Amino acid sequence: MNKRPGRNSFEGTSTYVVDPELAKIVNISIALEMPLLLKGEPGTGKTLLAHALAENLNMKLIVLNVKSNMKAVEALYQYDTLTRLNDSRFSDSGRDVSDIKNYIRMGKIGQSFTAEERVVLLIDEIDKADSDFQDDLLDVLDQMTFDIVEIDETLKARHRPVVIITSNAKKDLSDPFLGRCNFHHIAFPDPAFMRRIVEAHFPNIEDRVAKACIETFYKLRTLPQVEKKPATRELLNWIRALRMDPDFDPKRLEKTQDIPFLGVLFKKSEDFIHARDLNPYSR
Amino acid sequence: MFVEFFYTLRKAGIPVTPTAFLRLQKALDMGLVDSLEDFYVAARAIMVKSERYFDIYDRIFARHFYGVEQEEDWELELEEAIRMLLDEWLQDPKELAEMLGIDPASLPDLDPEELVKYFLERLKEQTERHDGGDRWIGTGGTSPVGHSGFHPGGMRVGGTSRGKSAIKVALERRYRDYTQNTRLTSSQVGEALRRLRHMIPAGPRDELDIEETIRQTVKLAGEIEIVFRQSPRDRLKVILMIDNGGWSMEPYVEVVQTLFNYAQAQFKDLKIFYFHNCIYDRVWEDPQRRHKPFPTADFPRLDPASRLIYVGDAAMAPYELEHPQGCINYGEKQSRPSIEWLRFLAHVFRHSAWLNPMVTFASDYYSQGSYTQREIANIVPMFPLSLDGLERAVHHLMSEN
Repeated sequence: MNKRPGRNSFEGTSTYVVDPELAKIVNISIALEMPLLLKGEPGTGKTLLAHALAENLNMKLIVLNVKSNMKAVEALYQYDTLTRLNDSRFSDSGRDVSDIKNYIRMGKIGQSFTAEERVVLLIDEIDKADSDFQDDLLDVLDQMTFDIVEIDETLKARHRPVVIITSNAKKDLSDPFLGRCNFHHIAFPDPAFMRRIVEAHFPNIEDRVAKACIETFYKLRTLPQVEKKPATRELLNWIRALRMDPDFDPKRLEKTQDIPFLGVLFKKSEDFIHARDLNPYSR
Repeated sequence: MFVEFFYTLRKAGIPVTPTAFLRLQKALDMGLVDSLEDFYVAARAIMVKSERYFDIYDRIFARHFYGVEQEEDWELELEEAIRMLLDEWLQDPKELAEMLGIDPASLPDLDPEELVKYFLERLKEQTERHDGGDRWIGTGGTSPVGHSGFHPGGMRVGGTSRGKSAIKVALERRYRDYTQNTRLTSSQVGEALRRLRHMIPAGPRDELDIEETIRQTVKLAGEIEIVFRQSPRDRLKVILMIDNGGWSMEPYVEVVQTLFNYAQAQFKDLKIFYFHNCIYDRVWEDPQRRHKPFPTADFPRLDPASRLIYVGDAAMAPYELEHPQGCINYGEKQSRPSIEWLRFLAHVFRHSAWLNPMVTFASDYYSQGSYTQREIANIVPMFPLSLDGLERAVHHLMSEN
């Protein structure tokens, strides 16, 4: 509670360039011990932030990849009935069958609570699961405790983990859930900031290559009627692909009819066809 | 000052909770906020929970802490101002051409719309290049926008960037796009419709039935007997009634198509019928509405627990809804007016909803819709075919009553 910011502050890493505004929000959330909910277009580095944060703060990262049919309790712990049943029959495992505790396995959230040191807990793509999932996690994240009904015990987090939650959804999560989080929407980076990101990933990139790629990329993003616009991730992969191509000359992006590796940028077949036909250079 | 700010946010329609406000106070107490820039970021992260409100937040912040009045959309204002000035400029084409950096001879080729567009683009370039400059455009001290009496103070804000003071950040209004409703994509439809399902055990027995396994094992005196059961699958029955006739549905083909594609992929038990305008004595199973008619009176043969979803604009002439001979297809004999059929179907299927792609005045069909929309909405609950509307419709369809 009384921790001052500064000691635990986040500044980005060598490959993750953080927007100062986001860094501030992350630091405030850490200090307030509040989960931080991140939204934004896919491919703008929501998940990467948690990785960078863990690296930066020198904490272990525990990732909970949310799946569509996931129940909240699975993320907390699991009672392994089958093993216990098996042990009770064959009793050669060395475990004490009469003690249920031996058959409680921690899920990702449980692991983050029982860890020896403070960890970063990433709950990735929470919007994939039902809203029940969010509702069931409300108190867990608020109180940082949960009950294990089988042994009638309450597990309390030894160290409150730094919680980062990501969501791709355009729709909002439930109000009570939002009430327990801080919120940030990662806006799409502007070209100048994008340049810094590109340079962080390709330190020795030629100026004209970077310039031409970024310019073309932003133009392609403005194409109308594209459902899934290419994002930072796609740009980085695209530059990687272009640099692998020995014949690539940045002038090609200005002049030629076709932009190479369009498929790296546009992943939906309709978008791809659309971009190929509509792209301003191919006229 | 902060309390007032809090209430201003609330008044503007941002759902800010007292808890969040107290949390902000805590952050202030802890010394986490050293400057107004920090405050801008912290207050937003803690109190504003959706990017849809970021733009309103920016505007209120600018007004509250800097007294900047920004009621109007400045770009629109700008465009209007330019249009007003256009006539004046065109009296001196040479100067205008010079200012825009184009050949005076090509000027007549541009129509006024193009000229305005060109000017706006040019303007954008200039503000990017002259970071922090006072004038927007033109050289030699002629600032055509200036002498119109238009206030540059409210407009310059969009241009100068990267200074990163809170006021500048707030006035950049980077989040304006997020306040608008964008095109409904299939993944969004999927998200909204995901809750529309009814889970019952079906399919292969691939899930361990722990209760039964234990029971059987005990019965065999400890010899383990593992029992599997069927896992729950979605078996919801859905009837989709699509208005695919007439020019009035034409603009919505795309959004209806998205919904249709998703429904086909998602629902195991889906029946689709087509109609034109409204429900009359028969609907059709083929999209051409020619080969496979289905008598409306036969609907009670289908499972009454099915969810009946209409998709249509519900826009028609009153007599088409209420007159016994109101059918839009001349020559089709009718036994009763369309509105009676709707009442009949509402009686057969307890769970029904009408999705209306006319989302423009969509918040409330009951009071703002056209006459027929209001009448139909009184029989079948009507929701806009938007993300929000879909969600409300699904909620309605899955509720017990």
